[in-house]
Amino acid sequence: MSPLLSVVGSLALWVGSALLVASVAIVGPRRLYALWNDLRDRLWEIRKPLAALVVVLIASAIGRSSLQTVSELFGLPLTWAIYALEGNFVAWVQATFGSPRLTMYFSAVYVYGYVFLLAFPFLAYLALPRTTTVKRLIVAYALNYAIGLVLYTIVLAHGPRNVMPEMVTSLLFTHNPEFMALTGEVNEPTNVFPSLHTSLSVTIGTFAVLTRREYPLWTPIAAWLATSVVIATMYLGIHWLTDVIGGTALALGAVYLSYRIVDEDGGREGENGVDSEE
Amino acid sequence: MTRQASRRGVLAGGFAALSAGCLGRTRNIAGRDRSSQLTLEINAPPADRDPNAIRIARHLAENLDAVGIDARINTLGLTDLRRKVLINHNFDVYVGQFREAEPFDPDAMYGFTHSQFVAESGWQNPFGFTDINGTDELLASQRRMDGDERREAVADLQRTLGELQPFTVVAFPDPLTAVREDRFENWTNRQPLSVGGLLGLERVDGGGAGGGETEGGNGTDGDGANRTADGNETADGNETADGNETADNETGDGLIDDTPLADDDGASDAATLRLVTTDERITQNWNPIAAEYRHYGTFTSLLYDRLALVDDGEVIPWLAADWGRVGDSGIEISLREADWHDGEPVTADDVAFTYEFLRDTAMGTTESPVPTPTFRGRVSAVDEATAVDEATVRLTLDGVTDAVGVRALQVPILPKHVWEERTGVATIGGFEFDAETTEAVVTNNENPIGSGPVRFVEASPEESVAFERNPDHFLTRAADGSTGGTDGDDSTDDEADPLAGIPERFRGKPAFDRLEIEVMGSDIAAVQAVGDGFADATVSNLGPDSIPRIGREADARLVTGQSGGFYHVGYNTRRAPLSNPRFRGVLASLIDKRTLVDTAFNGYAEAAVSPLAATPEWVPSDLRWEDRETDPVHPFVSESGSLDAETARDRLREAGYRFDEEGRLLAPDT
Repeated sequence: MSPLLSVVGSLALWVGSALLVASVAIVGPRRLYALWNDLRDRLWEIRKPLAALVVVLIASAIGRSSLQTVSELFGLPLTWAIYALEGNFVAWVQATFGSPRLTMYFSAVYVYGYVFLLAFPFLAYLALPRTTTVKRLIVAYALNYAIGLVLYTIVLAHGPRNVMPEMVTSLLFTHNPEFMALTGEVNEPTNVFPSLHTSLSVTIGTFAVLTRREYPLWTPIAAWLATSVVIATMYLGIHWLTDVIGGTALALGAVYLSYRIVDEDGGREGENGVDSEE
Repeated sequence: MTRQASRRGVLAGGFAALSAGCLGRTRNIAGRDRSSQLTLEINAPPADRDPNAIRIARHLAENLDAVGIDARINTLGLTDLRRKVLINHNFDVYVGQFREAEPFDPDAMYGFTHSQFVAESGWQNPFGFTDINGTDELLASQRRMDGDERREAVADLQRTLGELQPFTVVAFPDPLTAVREDRFENWTNRQPLSVGGLLGLERVDGGGAGGGETEGGNGTDGDGANRTADGNETADGNETADGNETADNETGDGLIDDTPLADDDGASDAATLRLVTTDERITQNWNPIAAEYRHYGTFTSLLYDRLALVDDGEVIPWLAADWGRVGDSGIEISLREADWHDGEPVTADDVAFTYEFLRDTAMGTTESPVPTPTFRGRVSAVDEATAVDEATVRLTLDGVTDAVGVRALQVPILPKHVWEERTGVATIGGFEFDAETTEAVVTNNENPIGSGPVRFVEASPEESVAFERNPDHFLTRAADGSTGGTDGDDSTDDEADPLAGIPERFRGKPAFDRLEIEVMGSDIAAVQAVGDGFADATVSNLGPDSIPRIGREADARLVTGQSGGFYHVGYNTRRAPLSNPRFRGVLASLIDKRTLVDTAFNGYAEAAVSPLAATPEWVPSDLRWEDRETDPVHPFVSESGSLDAETARDRLREAGYRFDEEGRLLAPDT
């Protein structure tokens, strides 16, 4: 319990500070001020996609363990297939690039960078005068989680660190076992395909590229962080390359669907689309 | 893919042939089943759950691939793996551990390999191995023999099993555990986490964390401290069967005013033994006979007393106060005074019921019996169990030798009033799903009612479980009673010590008031928790990545001993070509046990030939590993240390197997 609290505490501290700095530097005081004045209206405007996301998150929190059971009983055990497909790629990544500094960097990015990457765009897009982008972002998050959950249930596979421990070191947990308390709370070890770290990071990276006119400074930062998180999932021995490719496909699909569901003026058909997704 | 294409080709050719008028020949060719590469699925738990097994599986898979067999590793959670292998027999190869924690009598092989169990689910013969004239006969005769005759039979049995290889013994792991000794001491160097090991623990008095303890003990010094205070209260509240107040141990709790430094959030009692494991099964299921959920069954043995306890090879009369041979094949057992955790007395009826029930958990209500999935070999030595009076049971043994009889005394004694309700066929929502399964076999046994020294408190599945000391257990009650005087109302010689036969180290135990087990993500996290002071000891297996860590943690210490839970590669002999002992022999020779001990166990294991290697007195010298470099029966096929795939292929060719031009082993399509 206690290690978990300390990790969550330090996570809140670091990500909180980063958010503060980034919102001043990237969003700018003027927009923040406008957001502050208009916060209630904007939240009201995005209530539907927000509610959809909350429903998906709650469903995933509650249903995860029963879906896990379903997965164990009826899921497709595909660890061997993934391994047959890509072989020792992850082991090669670790053997070729592994160094204590990189491990430290990627561990930090995987935990702290990722949470920042998820949180900041929500704030930044909410600060835009029009709520279309933030709605799309939320819909894309919800789609990632919902589809990811379905795929987790269908595919029963373990990550490289669990399958070939003699070649792939579980770098994150070996060097920071306290992180295990955190990731253990939010993830099952058999949920590797697709990599949700990858899909959400790529989603955010894609949005950052699509909104480069609004936040030109954010685009390179997001691209850098997202790429780092994606590499980290493999470098740390947590995910297969296959998971990363699957995660990327999921992300692009989710962004595409979010643009279909929420149209330029904030989206009528959107609500139906979101609802039917549940 | 290729297969379909080529079949289509054959068909096309067939039509051509048809026009040419030789339909018969075409049929002769197309009608034959063709061969493709042999695929073997190796089932093993993921590294987080068992860091050693997956390494053995990987080693074997690599060598299988090298000789042209398509090996696929299938990682499964511990419960799913057991279900697949032990219950459904739906596997090719698995890597696992034997279920005995401590070195065991040779008769353990009876249940594991006798062909009479091939159709049953559970730990009894999961391989589907049948060797009627050899193994079966030796198994049957060794349990009825004594002395040198038995030794001879056991030696032959090991040679036969070695030759036929229904499973390949890899190594006996040292039962490693990281412990810290600032709160509990006396961790044994034999089996730190066996029933005996846990009951033998002592509280550290006046230690850093335990400021309150001495006050709790209040006057009584040394060994007894807290327990004496505790026990006295119990004696008062005993009649009302209300032990809960006692267990709280107010005194201890209230007085802890130490700086609540890094302690658990509860921070409260210094009398809590905190263990960490990577095996979540004890937080989900407390059924002592469930094959899927028990590792060694240590904690269910703390919940459910057995008639006898074996600790370090010493047979201790446990729930049985005493026993003696009656006639040719009978044992008469007198029970200690004991209560179930719900307050009902433990009677001879319960014991008689248990033996009948384990033989057939349906108690005769189904077409064929539904035997217990664990302890099957043990109860097969008992022909009949009858209650002579309230506290005396007579077991009629199947003519077995004393040592096998003692094994039969080591099954969990179950309360009749709870388990007789579970003899019906298991149902889901009222529907019978499988007529060969009873409720007893599939129940999670929530709120287990046993008679053991700890009782169940609470659990949150996959996270943690808590037990508490049972103040009414004979270890505690009688230790106290001996000073306060027992109220002897039974006719038997009550003046005798109610703890007769119980070694001093167990009297008045357990030393903890509460036992908490928390599930960790991996062996590394578990070791770290002990190092950081969040836990007192690790329960589950430790792998090569976590062992060096123990040395780095200032307060953690490595305790090791000797185990019976050998790692083995099990083959499903129901499936070709695994049904062929020669083929299994070649597979065995692909395993480099010597190297695996170093890489998979960091040296903390003993490579072994025989499943009985933990008891060297039973192993003939030709099957002892000693200083050997390689297995004497199925030596690793190597050329200067690494696998010699060509020689292995030659062996397979000699055994009648064929390869294609790319060196792939061919097997008929299924």
